[in-house]
Amino acid sequence: MFKSLLALLRRDLRLAIRHGGESLMPLLFLFAVLILVPLGVGPGPNLLSAIAPGMVWVAALLASLLALEGLFRPDLEDGTLEQWWTAPAPVGLLVTTRLFSHWLITGLPVILFAPLAAQMLYLPDHALPVLMLTLVIGTPILSLIGGLASALTLGTKRGSVLLSILIFPLVVPVLIFATGAVSAVADGLSPQAHLGLLTSLLILAVVLAPLATTAALKLNVE
Amino acid sequence: MWQTIKVGFHKLGSPPIFYRVCQVLSPWLWAGFAVSLVIGLYYALYVVPPDYQQSDSFRILYIHVPSAWQAMAGYLVMSILAVIALVWRIRTTEIMAMSAAPIGAAFTLICLATGSIWGRPMWGTFWAWDARLTSMLILLFIYLGIMGLYAAFEDKRKGARVACILILVGLVNIPIIHFSVEWWTTLHQGRGISFVGESTMDASMKPPLIWMIVATKLLFTAALLDRSRNELIEQDRRKGWIRQKLGASV
Amino acid sequence: MIPQFEFAAFVWTSYAIFAIIVAWQIIQPILRRRRLEAEIREEMALKLGESTDDPNP
Repeated sequence: MFKSLLALLRRDLRLAIRHGGESLMPLLFLFAVLILVPLGVGPGPNLLSAIAPGMVWVAALLASLLALEGLFRPDLEDGTLEQWWTAPAPVGLLVTTRLFSHWLITGLPVILFAPLAAQMLYLPDHALPVLMLTLVIGTPILSLIGGLASALTLGTKRGSVLLSILIFPLVVPVLIFATGAVSAVADGLSPQAHLGLLTSLLILAVVLAPLATTAALKLNVE
Repeated sequence: MWQTIKVGFHKLGSPPIFYRVCQVLSPWLWAGFAVSLVIGLYYALYVVPPDYQQSDSFRILYIHVPSAWQAMAGYLVMSILAVIALVWRIRTTEIMAMSAAPIGAAFTLICLATGSIWGRPMWGTFWAWDARLTSMLILLFIYLGIMGLYAAFEDKRKGARVACILILVGLVNIPIIHFSVEWWTTLHQGRGISFVGESTMDASMKPPLIWMIVATKLLFTAALLDRSRNELIEQDRRKGWIRQKLGASV
Repeated sequence: MIPQFEFAAFVWTSYAIFAIIVAWQIIQPILRRRRLEAEIREEMALKLGESTDDPNP
């Protein structure tokens, strides 16, 4: 069972490395948004540091949308998706593995480059560790919700516009608790309550999202 | 007794019988809606005296509050239908769940529009990032997402089932969203504007509210049956039974 | 006949929005059913004499 999960993970990562340029798109997109913000609102450090947590998070959210279109569709088109139901591992775990590789490709780079982004927007230094922590907890939720939405739209022809409309209401709590935690630290308060709630969201998403995603995939494969 | 109820429900799963039931019930529901609406409006606009704090602007609440309730109750009804549709794969409930979404969205829209109009004289602005208004706006987007997803499928049965999954995902998320938005507004209250506290309702202000709540419930049900019947006609337009029904009514 | 309210513009605009959206809930199903019935009758007229059953249900 673990063999097939590992094989899937290895294949996904190898594909991502081969299409190197494409895999870097979310990261480039993140920085495009982060460069446009100061250009739009002005370079004043006070304003920028006040909106920094929100902007980094919104940019991360938008970046996570980019790679969703190709999450399941190529597998549906070449028929490998159907074989997931005959694989030795349960489909729910295969889905989770696929989402994990999606997170490694889109979420992890965002986390690694977050310190740079935070510097560009003058986020107070003492708030940076919490920003990183919220990204570590929060970006997997983004991948899970994104995976669910991309499974739901799999049977439609033009999924991408629909995708963002489906995802936006579902990620509202993630955005609120994550930016709340960073803002709390920046204002000298404790971020514990926010981080606790964010973590419970992650647990909920890890448990429920693969179930719903599997159900949606099954309907679209039938 | 139990047996007859059970058989009755099974029969509703059959499209021709469901069609007939919709056709028979719908005029009665619309009539009930019209009566309760007229009584409710009469009370709301003529009988009830102005509020000492909000003057006449509180009359907006007689359409705002029932619409808000119906927007949420509508989601609950839609979720129940979605569960039945996914578990027992009954086609008529799939159709009903899909027909409930636009009606719920309409009530959410009424709630949002009247809420922001009420906010102008009370808060001094058309839009405040108030917890309930924000939650309602997100609810509207969930409704629109469900409608958009269903519309995007060419295979309507598959589309309905996939949209039913989204309905249940939304059902799990709505309380979380509402809680998070409430948390967010209480944190930022210092930067926001001060709100007028809601005055406790006098007994004389209640009858129009009750009549309007009855009216919105009847409107929802009547529109649901009408829309479901249309959806059934659309899906079964090439089937013999629909052609017989329509051919007979020429 | 029409009651005079303070904030009258706000009250009446709200009720008007309510009326318009409710009216749409009533009218939309009627219009759609008419359109569907017309379309189906047209199809039936074209296929007169043929079997009306779906060849691949």
